[in-house]
Amino acid sequence: MNSPSDAEVIRRSLGEPETFGLVYDRHAATVLRFLGRRVGAGVAEGLVGELFRIAFERRKTFDGSRVSALPWLYGIGSNLLLKHRRGEARRLRANARMAVREAPDRRASAAALDARLLFPRVADAIEALPDGEREALLLFAWEDLSYQSVAEALELPIGTVRSRLNRARAHLRELLKPGGKNRERSR
Amino acid sequence: MRPVDLVRKLRREAAVKPAALDRGKAALMAAIRQEVQPMRRPTIVPRLPYENVGAALSFLESAFGFREIPAARGVRADGAIDHTMVEFGDGMVGLGAQGAHGAFSPKRVGTTTQYITVHVDDIDAHHQRALASGAEIVSRLHDHLRDYRVYEALDPEGHRWRFLQWLREVPQ
Repeated sequence: MNSPSDAEVIRRSLGEPETFGLVYDRHAATVLRFLGRRVGAGVAEGLVGELFRIAFERRKTFDGSRVSALPWLYGIGSNLLLKHRRGEARRLRANARMAVREAPDRRASAAALDARLLFPRVADAIEALPDGEREALLLFAWEDLSYQSVAEALELPIGTVRSRLNRARAHLRELLKPGGKNRERSR
Repeated sequence: MRPVDLVRKLRREAAVKPAALDRGKAALMAAIRQEVQPMRRPTIVPRLPYENVGAALSFLESAFGFREIPAARGVRADGAIDHTMVEFGDGMVGLGAQGAHGAFSPKRVGTTTQYITVHVDDIDAHHQRALASGAEIVSRLHDHLRDYRVYEALDPEGHRWRFLQWLREVPQ
């Protein structure tokens, strides 16, 4: 049995709006986990319905040549998350504290900084990235999206995604250098 | 370690509750129905006067989970919301600037003259959300005679809302 592609479902939903519920059934769990990783379960809960409501309202603009709607949904989510930057920063710092606790052997690290210092600085460094770079980086590193999917999500040419990710990497290296730009930003 | 690998180390999962997925679906399907049946209107529609309609709307959405009907929004020349509608389940309430239609906000007149009962599916979750959003609880969450579970809260301008979940099936 062939189930219709996302593109087909969305096309059908133009005439039969309720069909769009199927897009939710297929992707809501993935999207909710994505939002949860970024802003925590509580806020994510409030956002997931809003995200799909926006997607529903914009369904006419979905590019029917794409097989999966997921990158498009990630993109709408990324935009929504911009309004929750403070919550995101809090969560990043909490994640850093957990990463410190879980670090297996701090002394075995080749890095000059031990986990206790390193992870909070990684959090600060991610936080300090320009919005566009942070978004591309987190979609790539946390959501395991391909360059092509990140490009679809952020509605950018793939070359731009490549250069953004390269810039983000360079920025992170710079920010993580001992004596790097954000060394004083301890919390 | 490469920067991207370090970033990956900070990836943490948040708990995903099935109920959260259900609520999201309900919100979506309500929005879809709104498009399908734009003329749907309950027979009785209370309208509440507010000093600050925009702030009231934000509160009602975040604390009580009401949803604005975007098409109902009227905006003044200065960009402030003059009136709009919110829906919840199959109910609907209008919010409007005080003074119009001779009605004033409890914040201005100093007393509440009515309250609205809203039936919810999960009263405990609803109560939690209202608490987290800073709603003033004026009647604590409790069971009433094993019939229903109920609490009452004030919105920022003092309109009183009574949220209730039936504990057993009631005859229609």
